[in-house]
Amino acid sequence: MAETEGAAVAAGAWPRRRRRLTAGRFFRASVPYALILPVLVAIGAVLGYPLYNLVRLSLQHYGLFELIQHKGQAVGLRNFSSILHDGIFWHTLARTVVFTAVNVCLTMAIGTAVALLLVRVSTWARLLLTSGLVLVWATPAVVAVQVWIWMTNFQNGIVNYTLTRLHIGNYSEHDWYATTFSQLGLATTLIVWGAVPFVAISVYAALAQVPRDLEEAAEIDGARPWRVFRDVTLPILRPVLLILTSLSIIWDFGVFTQPYLLIGQGHIHPGNYLMGIYLFEEGYIKTEFGRGAAISLLMLAMVALLSVVYVRKMVRLGDEE
Amino acid sequence: MRHRVVAAAAVAVLLGLVAATASASPQRAQANKLTVWLQVDAQSGWPDIVAAANQQFQKDHPGYTVDVQYQNWTDHLQKFDATLAGGNSPDVIEMGNTEMTKYMAAGAFSPLDKSSFDNAPQWLSGLAKSGAYGGKTYGVPYYAGSRVATYRTDLFKKAGIKKLPATLAELTADAKKLAAKNKGKGFSPVYFGGEDWYVAMAFVYDFGGTIARTHSGKWVGALDSPQAVKGLTAYKNFFLASSRASKTNDSTNPNPYDVYAQGNAGVIIGPSWFSCCVGVKYKTATAQFVLPGHVKGQALPGFLGGSDLAVPVTSKSASLGADWIKDFTGTSAERALQAKGNIPNATNLLGSSINERAAARSWFVPTAKHWVDVENGNILKNMLGQILTGKLTVKQAAASASDNITSVLNGS
Repeated sequence: MAETEGAAVAAGAWPRRRRRLTAGRFFRASVPYALILPVLVAIGAVLGYPLYNLVRLSLQHYGLFELIQHKGQAVGLRNFSSILHDGIFWHTLARTVVFTAVNVCLTMAIGTAVALLLVRVSTWARLLLTSGLVLVWATPAVVAVQVWIWMTNFQNGIVNYTLTRLHIGNYSEHDWYATTFSQLGLATTLIVWGAVPFVAISVYAALAQVPRDLEEAAEIDGARPWRVFRDVTLPILRPVLLILTSLSIIWDFGVFTQPYLLIGQGHIHPGNYLMGIYLFEEGYIKTEFGRGAAISLLMLAMVALLSVVYVRKMVRLGDEE
Repeated sequence: MRHRVVAAAAVAVLLGLVAATASASPQRAQANKLTVWLQVDAQSGWPDIVAAANQQFQKDHPGYTVDVQYQNWTDHLQKFDATLAGGNSPDVIEMGNTEMTKYMAAGAFSPLDKSSFDNAPQWLSGLAKSGAYGGKTYGVPYYAGSRVATYRTDLFKKAGIKKLPATLAELTADAKKLAAKNKGKGFSPVYFGGEDWYVAMAFVYDFGGTIARTHSGKWVGALDSPQAVKGLTAYKNFFLASSRASKTNDSTNPNPYDVYAQGNAGVIIGPSWFSCCVGVKYKTATAQFVLPGHVKGQALPGFLGGSDLAVPVTSKSASLGADWIKDFTGTSAERALQAKGNIPNATNLLGSSINERAAARSWFVPTAKHWVDVENGNILKNMLGQILTGKLTVKQAAASASDNITSVLNGS
């Protein structure tokens, strides 16, 4: 390959061989496409085909009867129109947007703070902190949920015990699952707890790129720590923070495992749906698979829209460098 | 610029897909194996009866193995749906009697020859009805259960309770006596979860209410009727006076018998087989009684729960599945189930146990095709949580639940 290319380049310098030159150019232009072809084929097989099926399913009435017959009933866009006319959908969407915003902000703020801490502490403290973070990251969500359930048990949970002992209030037999706010709040603590390590370690790695002398120079010029962070550190961290925020939004918008298991199937109702749970309840619990597919496509469109912003920004950042 | 947008859109779609797709792993089927899905109740209550049925089956069908997989009530239908779509469904499945209609209507089960089963003419009518659709039999009654009170005789004696309560008011008074003598943290005189809708609806029916009724061919939620509201109010008062369980949990987590075995309950309400698991310490100091209603001499109507066994239409060995069901619901197996505190599947086997007496006054859920969606949508549980935590008044909560039930039951 390299030889042929070399030949083509050499040929390019020879004005008399124009024809061959175009062929060579064509070849050179097509090489990148040929190189990504296997990837495209793989993506098409792994994602394209299921996506095609999902779209087809969303245009059908597909309930239990159709499931057993393995054949849906085409209904056009009726699934979409019924969802978009459903008040529960809009309420769920609003709740999910707020929930996502809170989760992402907390994750990013705490993660960045931990990363800054990692830079400043002594080596052994850093090692201890890092291994703690890795352990959290390694804990499977299902296990973590169970631990949370134990800790918040209303009679014997350690949370109620500790809060009462610390005289923060009478939390004896306090029911953490009594209100939607409290349920989703608990889910938030669990999600943020699980997501902080990834953010902290990534930001910590990025902090290594901040030239120390820049910060020192700023300090000598009389900048206070917050000022140094805002005007020196933050601009360098920006690309990393952007990626992490975008990924967090994608994860938290469709989150299912933690809230569903923590709140429990027996407590899920339209008043505390998040998008992922709404999709599961409509599609699987009510066995309306066509409707479920339509909801998942709507979610896909929303996440894709967010991602376009993110990817464009990334491409632009890449160009600047 | 255009390239960029296209590339951005492509990557965006991919990212979105990663966020939106989920995967499931199918199990591989094996030749000469019969797969049976039973609920965990059998695993904790009567594994020996299951083993005996397997043995009988293997004797009749040499070379076959029976793989019994225990399922949870909360998610067994979703798992079943997945196997209906993707294959590897069980050859026999246990279904709650409230779950059958939707699946029979969708054609999920193979029809069975009713006459080939033991005691079929005498099957309990409530259970037999739940397994019949369009004149065919799809479900074989497995067992029924009513709800009774399992109580600590020693604690009753210590509290000076000489005779068992005959009315709800007496039971409430007894609960107060028990509470006065047992000041331990977390002790419930009568333990049951606040969102245990089987107990709550018993109060509704005791006061003459009902969950839903039909009106000119349509279902109408009826929890907002004056009688039902009275029943729910009585339930609220009884719960607050007697149970220290969570107001927003049903009676599954923790199991009432575990609370009882830890010495944290004077009385627990549930199926009579709860006596299986009260703990070694209290085994000899445990007895049962029929829960009294608000009118003297009348029992609190118990939910007549029960299970059917069915053969999914996707099973590759439907006749073998039916044979296993015969072994598991034969007279001897049913007698053994009865000995464990269940109600056997046929009237000719009925005895006069507490459980069977409790079943004399019972209630059942509306027999609507979409009832199971009301159950899984947690409409009743949510209402009870709202009532007990005081978030809504009984009337408000009942009215909103009633509206929800009306719309779900009349769904397409």
